Amino acid sequence: MPRCLQFAAVIMLFTQVTAPAAGPGQAERQPIFPFPIQQTTLDNGLSVISVPFDSPGIIAYYTVVRTGSRNEVERGLSGFAHFFEHMMFRGTRKYSQEKYNDVLKSLGADSNAFTTDDWTCYHTTIPATALGTAVEIESDRFENLKYDESSFQKEARAVLGEYNKNASSPFLKLEEAMQNTAFTRHTYKHTTLGFLEDIKDMPNQFAYSKIFFDRWYRPENCTIVATGDVKHDELVSLVKAHYGSWARGKASVEIPTEPLQTEPRSAHVSWPVPTLPTLYLGYHMPASDPANPDIAALAAIEQAVFGETSPLSRELVLKEQKVVTLMAEASPHRDPGLFSIIARIRTSADLPAVRQRIADALAEAGRTPIDSARLDAVRSHLKYAYAASLRSADAVAHAVGESIAITGRPDAMNDLFAAFERLTPADPQRVAARYFIPTNETVIILETEKKK
Amino acid sequence: MNGKQRIVLALSLGWLLLTAGSTALSAEPGQTKVADKSAILISSPSSPLVSFRFVFRVGSQDDPSGKEGLAALTTAMIAEGGTASLSYEQLLEKFYPMAATLDGACRKEATAFQGTVHRDNLKAYIPLVTELLTAPRFAPDDFKRLRNEALDYVTKTLRGNNDEELGKWTLQCDLYKGHPHGHPDRGTVQGLKAITLDDVKAFHKRYYTREALTLGMAGGFEPAAASQVESNLASLPRQAQGLPPLDPPAVRPGLEVTIVAKPAEATAISIGFPIDVTRRDEEFYALAVANSYLGEHRTFNGKLMQDLRGKRGLNYGDYSYIEDFIQEGMSTFQVPNNPRRQQYFSIWVRPVPRDKAAFALRAALWELDRLATEGMSPADFEATRSFLLNYSKLWVQTLSRRLGYAIDGQFYGRNDLVTELAERLRRLTVEQVNAAVRKHLKPPGMKIAIVARNADELRDILTSGKPSPITYDTQGTPENILAEDKQIAAFPLKNVTVKIVPVERMFEE
Repeated sequence: MPRCLQFAAVIMLFTQVTAPAAGPGQAERQPIFPFPIQQTTLDNGLSVISVPFDSPGIIAYYTVVRTGSRNEVERGLSGFAHFFEHMMFRGTRKYSQEKYNDVLKSLGADSNAFTTDDWTCYHTTIPATALGTAVEIESDRFENLKYDESSFQKEARAVLGEYNKNASSPFLKLEEAMQNTAFTRHTYKHTTLGFLEDIKDMPNQFAYSKIFFDRWYRPENCTIVATGDVKHDELVSLVKAHYGSWARGKASVEIPTEPLQTEPRSAHVSWPVPTLPTLYLGYHMPASDPANPDIAALAAIEQAVFGETSPLSRELVLKEQKVVTLMAEASPHRDPGLFSIIARIRTSADLPAVRQRIADALAEAGRTPIDSARLDAVRSHLKYAYAASLRSADAVAHAVGESIAITGRPDAMNDLFAAFERLTPADPQRVAARYFIPTNETVIILETEKKK
Repeated sequence: MNGKQRIVLALSLGWLLLTAGSTALSAEPGQTKVADKSAILISSPSSPLVSFRFVFRVGSQDDPSGKEGLAALTTAMIAEGGTASLSYEQLLEKFYPMAATLDGACRKEATAFQGTVHRDNLKAYIPLVTELLTAPRFAPDDFKRLRNEALDYVTKTLRGNNDEELGKWTLQCDLYKGHPHGHPDRGTVQGLKAITLDDVKAFHKRYYTREALTLGMAGGFEPAAASQVESNLASLPRQAQGLPPLDPPAVRPGLEVTIVAKPAEATAISIGFPIDVTRRDEEFYALAVANSYLGEHRTFNGKLMQDLRGKRGLNYGDYSYIEDFIQEGMSTFQVPNNPRRQQYFSIWVRPVPRDKAAFALRAALWELDRLATEGMSPADFEATRSFLLNYSKLWVQTLSRRLGYAIDGQFYGRNDLVTELAERLRRLTVEQVNAAVRKHLKPPGMKIAIVARNADELRDILTSGKPSPITYDTQGTPENILAEDKQIAAFPLKNVTVKIVPVERMFEE
């Protein structure tokens, strides 16, 4: 690759190491993320991150694109970030789709991709000896993707197939109804799959797909994360050689701001065959900036009010057995998202009572500080759950990739867990009183369709 | 040598030691001869985590007739029901600060309990999990909750919330009709309703024995911890029950189709037939290469995936299997600890649009027929063998999975699958692979499970003997694909019988 090597010679690098050990004066607290993170930014804006640790012979190689369904601002083109994730496997002039697959096959790679509201991720787990090949074929498709209209249209129908497989679950309908009802202007209004009518129309959007690639598949919007049996210098050298000539982009879009909700909202979803009645509640919450203390406090409420040892869960699930599943999630998002609560209920007759019990539990959380022993248990639970989640090179790369995608930094989890440590019993009370109010609430109810 | 000494020796030897008793799952009915104690320990001193697997040789094959679901309900009553000294609520309070669980999964011939805990919490975790296994609480309230959960799963989730799982379970029930493998592991509606708490207690007493258990620990633990686990399990009854006999499942010539009628937007298809091959057999490893070529799970390597999805855009994915395959979570890898004495071959065609369902079914059968008739080329064989040799190493990236694969190896009287593949694939030839394909993947009959809205119309198409051409709503399909489409559309469906079952009658009894 003489062209790339020549260019690489003039690339300026900015390297920093985020060490896991606490500095002077902070000796009492170890960061939650246990491995050193090394980061280098190339002159073209491409970030390169390595997390070496004991994973003999295996590397997880992630390309994080900070584009998800959040970026789909044009009407009629929802779901395109996810669709484009599919198109990225359709080949280049140098590596046709077949040849690309043959190379991955020869490596024995586990390779796939996924898209969320906020990011698109291309992930490959490979033998450490194959790092050079992975960098070459991944850089090639990010810089030189090439597909014709026929394969574009066939892939559009594979995406419809993905919608079809998900559509046999009522949870897709619930999610669609929640996002469509809770959001009025922001692009979180549609799910990552997109509106069904837009998915059906995808074969007609070949020209737009070129705009989409040109707009978002640019070095300053991407980060390479390699974890496991990897050496940072070797990785950077390979990335410089292969991605160095990738030109920065110019385009950007304005993502609409969601106006403040001022009245309760609701929707009803019916299901054609018997299903458990389900209550799905959403409350707008801030973007996942770890500097915002409300984020840690809401995560504590998720556990303390709705976790499996919470009083509400013990009563509704274990003692009264009215509810089969009770869960809440303060899902991390780049823009203000939703704190969601889901209760699958045994019979429809109990829906109003369960809804009232959840409202009472939230009101109580807003009136009373959390018990300090309970807060300690929540902190301990979150800490050990996180430690257990980092069980493979792939899991570590995912954790770092998500941090980059949501916050722009690879180590935001350290700040979040430091914020958990700083929480006082009054913090969850404060955020409960602030966010769990009727004018910030969206209620979706799922029930079996009534026979006529 | 007693169990404690054996564990200490295992640790002093270092990495992995399989103790005596490696025939646990390999014994045939009437010859159940297992060691008193068996344990697999994998020491990894630098790991902050310790993974446990407790695998009992009991499963849904042991459900009494009329009480289908008893084995799985017993599993749930152990994993989600408290201990003699702690209610489930109290147990959750103990587990919660450790972020620990003991997850139970009942499969056909084995029941696996697993948990991973930080070593900070190891001392507190061990007595809790060992008491769960040896002295479960079996409280009436927990029984009511967990039996209702199982009923909800069968009547709502399986029937109404996931057409792909519905199709797969329909296929398994059809393949093994009247056989111990012939019902969903979670049970049937009438079977679950007939089960009493006393049934659960008796089932636990009968099947949860030390001989039936393989204990596995992996990670950063000291020898004393393993000894503690072993000693806590000493109160389990000693002797294992014999295994229920498994007759060869009956398959008649032709295509036996079950269409589950329900208001489905798209059509889910599963195809299968029993094969007389397991990891115990030489030919399994030859078939593993052929299967990887045809349809490695959730990869883009397989012919099925490339041809049905890639070239035709029929659906989201198409894969094939030479053993019962359950994906682990969001990964693409198979869960460990689902060993079976009998296996089946299957093809999973993910939901396709209604008007393309008959074509998609024919396309999958055509791909299989081409493989069985033409075999793999030497070049495809080399590429696929090389892939499997590397890819299989990824199946054991976590301590818990290594443990699971090691335990499965013991059940089959083999090394773990990854080691077996590494050793055997190097010696394998393309002729051996193609011979195994001809012998095992060209059966006289197959079963097909379809979940569809237009059951009557589909039955008429499949039994008409007429071609089912595809009409694309996309442009630019290459000429060579259109030419293949003509062959596929006319692929003969021989001796087709179709049974239509309304979804509300599925898994009833």
